[in-house]
Amino acid sequence: MTSLERSRGLRWLCTLTMCVALVVMLFPVYAAIVGSFESNNTLFGAQYYWLPHDPSLANYRTVIDAQAGHVVTSLILGLGTTVLTLAIALPAAYALSKYRLRVTAVFVSALLVAQIVPSIVLASSLFMIFHWVHLLNTYPGLILADGTYAIPFAILVLRAFFFSLPNELIHAARVDGANEWQTFRRIMIPLARSAIITVAVFAFLGGWGDFIFALTILNGSGIQPITLGIYTYLGNYSTDWGAVMASAVIAIAPAGVLLLVAQRYIASGLTAGSVKG
Amino acid sequence: MLSEGEASLVDTKVNRPNGKELGSAGRDQPHPRLSASRRRRLAAWLFLTPAILYLLFAFALPIVYNVLLSFEQTSISTIGSFTAPWAGLANYRFILNDPTSRSAIVHTLEFTVGSLAGQFVIGFGLALLLNLRFPGRTLGRSLIIIPWLMPLIVTGVIFKFLFQLEGGAVNQVLIDIGLAHHAIDWLDDPHLALWTVLIANIWLGVPFFTLLLYGALQDVPGEIKEAARIDGARPWQTLRYVTVPIILPVIEVTMLLGFVFTVKVFDLVIGLTGGGPANATQLITTWSYNLSFQQFSFGEGAALNNVLLLLALICAPLYLFLSRDSLRGSAGGDR
Repeated sequence: MTSLERSRGLRWLCTLTMCVALVVMLFPVYAAIVGSFESNNTLFGAQYYWLPHDPSLANYRTVIDAQAGHVVTSLILGLGTTVLTLAIALPAAYALSKYRLRVTAVFVSALLVAQIVPSIVLASSLFMIFHWVHLLNTYPGLILADGTYAIPFAILVLRAFFFSLPNELIHAARVDGANEWQTFRRIMIPLARSAIITVAVFAFLGGWGDFIFALTILNGSGIQPITLGIYTYLGNYSTDWGAVMASAVIAIAPAGVLLLVAQRYIASGLTAGSVKG
Repeated sequence: MLSEGEASLVDTKVNRPNGKELGSAGRDQPHPRLSASRRRRLAAWLFLTPAILYLLFAFALPIVYNVLLSFEQTSISTIGSFTAPWAGLANYRFILNDPTSRSAIVHTLEFTVGSLAGQFVIGFGLALLLNLRFPGRTLGRSLIIIPWLMPLIVTGVIFKFLFQLEGGAVNQVLIDIGLAHHAIDWLDDPHLALWTVLIANIWLGVPFFTLLLYGALQDVPGEIKEAARIDGARPWQTLRYVTVPIILPVIEVTMLLGFVFTVKVFDLVIGLTGGGPANATQLITTWSYNLSFQQFSFGEGAALNNVLLLLALICAPLYLFLSRDSLRGSAGGDR
């Protein structure tokens, strides 16, 4: 312990500094929650209220009418992206960690570079490509695009995890007569549970929070996720801040829930270097 | 890169029942025509196939097509067709002469440098704070992640709400604590709007910097810092000459990922300012979207996209170099 930590007063000063930092970092979330309960009369006054001035659920009623379907769409995209990511990344990560392949270094380099590619570059080309293969305005098309957020990252994280599992497990399974698929499915996947949860959380949030691909690949079709819903709503009713904040709170909710139930996995995924956008 | 030699070897051996290469052990296996090592290699390739196809379809194809598109003369009528008339360098010439494209490139650079500086200073400060022992540290570490998990477009929209001229929380705070005498027009003043987007982006990236740098600080052995202290180093000197050199590789990776993240920023700007006022916050991403999807000049948009891609890929060699340990890792399970 340093002298700084030994002094009681200084320790509380640290706590105070942390509190100030948290107030700044969490204030936008707080303001969105307060705003979601306010009437537009209050929000449009010159005065900003720190606590709900005249709280009501009216905004949520408006939003549930307008956005309930969008929430379902976002859930489908989030879950679809998760399934696609795991289906592609798990076997690939296993192959890249437990088999001696000459392409491994090249393939891993390609994944690292893929993480760097900006989504907008992919979006305008995918718009054209999807146009020819009739994937515009479809769930499969959008999920394939949303996978670009998660799949390279997922393979790298899972690969690092598979490295940590001893090779003796594989040898033992082979001696017991398991074939390659059975070894992968029955031995390795169950052991990789924690890494799978990390990857699944980030894949879900990637699909749930995507905006670029929704904006470009969906044009005026029935499919509309909540991210696009909020943007369109703000464009159409630029003054209805109460309803917009209520939608924002709904759009943030899964992140909050996941942080509550899977915090450990989120922290490890963040440290593994997830790149958004 | 598929090594074709390997693949064809497997094929020919499968079709050659009594090939010399098959050892006696081969006959006891469920597939007697394949030796165990060949079967494993085949399995590995099958495990890898979906990922290879996906990377080709979702990354390689769009990138190559984007290059092609940037040399074509596109219009709204060419969208449905596979190719458009050849344009040579016309789209790139347009980008170089278009004032908005040029200012978008400059804005992107300014925005990136500003974001990285702000995110690093605040994130490193918070990481150092979290590295001390004090009440509420664990809770603080969990809560600080929240901004990073929110959908970016939602963050943009919430900041637009906070930065409203009238009744916005930010102006209210500044006036209440006496830092401003009148409401500041954060979003509609062309001289201020890029700063507003910058503030929002710094806020967004701080959790990422904090957690990565905090993780690195946790890995610095206490004995080394203790030894420095005994040798008479002051806390600042310990930080400067002991801690920072040890965590330098993590600082480099964090800055690099922060750079990549910031040149990609799109949702945040669209939600907050939409590129306005008067293109004052137009970045490469938002202007390329505008060219492609609002003006339907996909060729010009693609040319600008390639400028962005080039900018992002500048750091690819460095990223690969910093990740060399994970590249070297082989089937040895040595980690």
